[in-house]
Amino acid sequence: MAVCPNGHDSASEDFCDICGMRIDGARSATGPSGTTGMPSYGSLPPVPGGPGAPGGSGAPGPGQAGDPCPRCGTARSGQFCESCGFNFGTAPPAWASTPLPSSSAPAPPYSAPPSAPYAPPPASSSWPPGPAHSAAPDSSGPLTRPPGPRPSPLDTWTAVVSADHDYYEIVRAAGSPDSSDLPFPAYCAERRFRLTGGQMQIGRRSVSRGLDPEIDLTGPPADPGISRLHAVLIATPDGSWTVLDPGSANGTLLNGREIPTGSQVPLHDGDRINLGAWTAITVYRS
Amino acid sequence: MTDSGFTVDVDQNQYLPEGGRDVSAIVTVASGPGVAALPGGGPGGAAASSAEIIIIDCSGSMEYPHTKIAEARAATAAAVDVVRDGVLFAVIAGTNLAWPVFPADGSMARADASSRALAKQAVAGLRAGGGTAIGQWLELARQTFGRYPAELRHAILLTDGKNQHETPEQLAAAVRGCETVFSCDCRGVGTDWEVKELRTISTALLGTVDIVPDPSGLAADFAAMMENAMGKQVADVALRVWTPQHATVKFVKQVAPTVEDLTGRRTPSGPQAGDYPTGAWGPGESRDYHVGVEVTPAGLGQEMLAARVSLVAGGPSGAEVLGQGLVRAIWTDDEALSTKLNSRVAHYTGQAELAAAIQDGLEARKQGDEETATAKLGRAVALAHQSGNEDTAKLLAKVVDVVNPETGTVRLKKQVEDADEMALDTRSTKTVRARK
Repeated sequence: MAVCPNGHDSASEDFCDICGMRIDGARSATGPSGTTGMPSYGSLPPVPGGPGAPGGSGAPGPGQAGDPCPRCGTARSGQFCESCGFNFGTAPPAWASTPLPSSSAPAPPYSAPPSAPYAPPPASSSWPPGPAHSAAPDSSGPLTRPPGPRPSPLDTWTAVVSADHDYYEIVRAAGSPDSSDLPFPAYCAERRFRLTGGQMQIGRRSVSRGLDPEIDLTGPPADPGISRLHAVLIATPDGSWTVLDPGSANGTLLNGREIPTGSQVPLHDGDRINLGAWTAITVYRS
Repeated sequence: MTDSGFTVDVDQNQYLPEGGRDVSAIVTVASGPGVAALPGGGPGGAAASSAEIIIIDCSGSMEYPHTKIAEARAATAAAVDVVRDGVLFAVIAGTNLAWPVFPADGSMARADASSRALAKQAVAGLRAGGGTAIGQWLELARQTFGRYPAELRHAILLTDGKNQHETPEQLAAAVRGCETVFSCDCRGVGTDWEVKELRTISTALLGTVDIVPDPSGLAADFAAMMENAMGKQVADVALRVWTPQHATVKFVKQVAPTVEDLTGRRTPSGPQAGDYPTGAWGPGESRDYHVGVEVTPAGLGQEMLAARVSLVAGGPSGAEVLGQGLVRAIWTDDEALSTKLNSRVAHYTGQAELAAAIQDGLEARKQGDEETATAKLGRAVALAHQSGNEDTAKLLAKVVDVVNPETGTVRLKKQVEDADEMALDTRSTKTVRARK
């Protein structure tokens, strides 16, 4: 232990650990000011943690194990739902806060894994409103916005496309000729479409037939039970929307009941349209 | 050169006039050709374990022109080809959401011929459509990395647009969450993205940012970035700056190869000491740091240690010292000594001012303040000329007409290509090395 000119006890013997003053007897300062590598007379201030402290891998735990999946209700065991592949981690908060008609279980509030320092704030307060938003370059793709009550004179309608395991089981149970070997998708990103214009076609893009539906369900994952032009959402003069099946091969369900071909059926907030082998389109009005 | 393979050199004028407080030094850190993971970093000092994630923008605008998404797919495949056998990797696609492309279950795959082939197959199916919420992409990458104990975690992020579908606060929160988890190189393709936005991400995540104006340049750039990432050997290296009682660290900046201000990144690491992150290191690298300390003056003829700068590995709790340098202060009444400006300190002070002048000048130009823009960009031209920063001088000449480079007399060009302006902005932080 050395003592510096100011009377501090110092573990380092060149310069005082406390005030930095040169300690008598240390090497003189005639050489270049820099030193290379680890000098023999150097020592470091003590470090909490010290050697052997665990490297910060910060692996997040599985999260709220046992919570029901907001899409299919299966108990959660990790980041992804074991049943439908729903990603608990990346789902927008609005998903969880909006009750879904097909699931009676209360949706869990979204939260990041326990070790995560980041939790997205609620969507309702954070989305920049205004027309500038839709004039921006990215709006060339399907414009998406999570639903939620927002103060606005005009209602915004949003269609949310997801993979519906309950409906998939019903299709399989009905024993349609080729449904038994259709797989349920392991992972299906949720897709959102804001309903705009006079009508929104639902189908699969076809260059040869010149079809480019607004709600393009080409995938991946591809639902083979969806027709090229499967259904159309049509706006009504009062600002609400209807669904029409122009004669799809496999039909369209609204809240579990088949809709008649060729007629417009009014839609309500939270209504669920099912089509193909596993596709669900839930409409939200906000 | 020490056992660690790293060297730390300090260049400064240690002489201060009576009552002088400001000590400034350039700290040069270099890694030798043989640096490898430390004994604590893996069994038998083997190469540190690495994990790589490629994050690809699949927003709707990637379709315009259609070559953008196609080149992004090809670039991702090129980067996947470079991932070394045994390295964990994954590909994430981002719109206003983020989802795992490969492996599709959100895990990470160990690279070998078959996993690389499967990844390229999955990438080939990527299509564009949707918005842009970069915070969501980073958050998914963070979660994916978090499940594996790799030491070197690195991501490549590609976007072509602004972060429109979440707030700046959401993005900032996501970036903060990723800071100690992984490093990230950011690339903007085309000219519809925001330089400041990507620079904020790349700076926080200790990576690079650059513009790829033409989508066809992506594949080569991606492969080069991945090559570079594969060369990293030592993770989580930090500069630990000890200062005496009553002294203040004014700033710690990386000044070469690029200017990156680390001042706000201090993590306390012991009595009177704080760590500043430098990220991961490969063999044969050299970077310069400018450290500024304000000390309490001592008497004439006295000598004080103004800062002990140690290079440490293993994160904030790490104590593996790779090298050390001393920043001194000696008070003298010899004015010839105390007024001498250290040439490297002066050079890098100028390079940092150059970067700031360019960024301020371009911002003023955007705001329509031509007077400020002309003054700032003129100053930048003069600084670039004096310091021999020819690359930056060339980029400046695409934005202003240079009348006299000595005095920095310039005229703003009436017509400037977006790509030229963005290239100048993104590359404004590149510096030229000061000779010793």
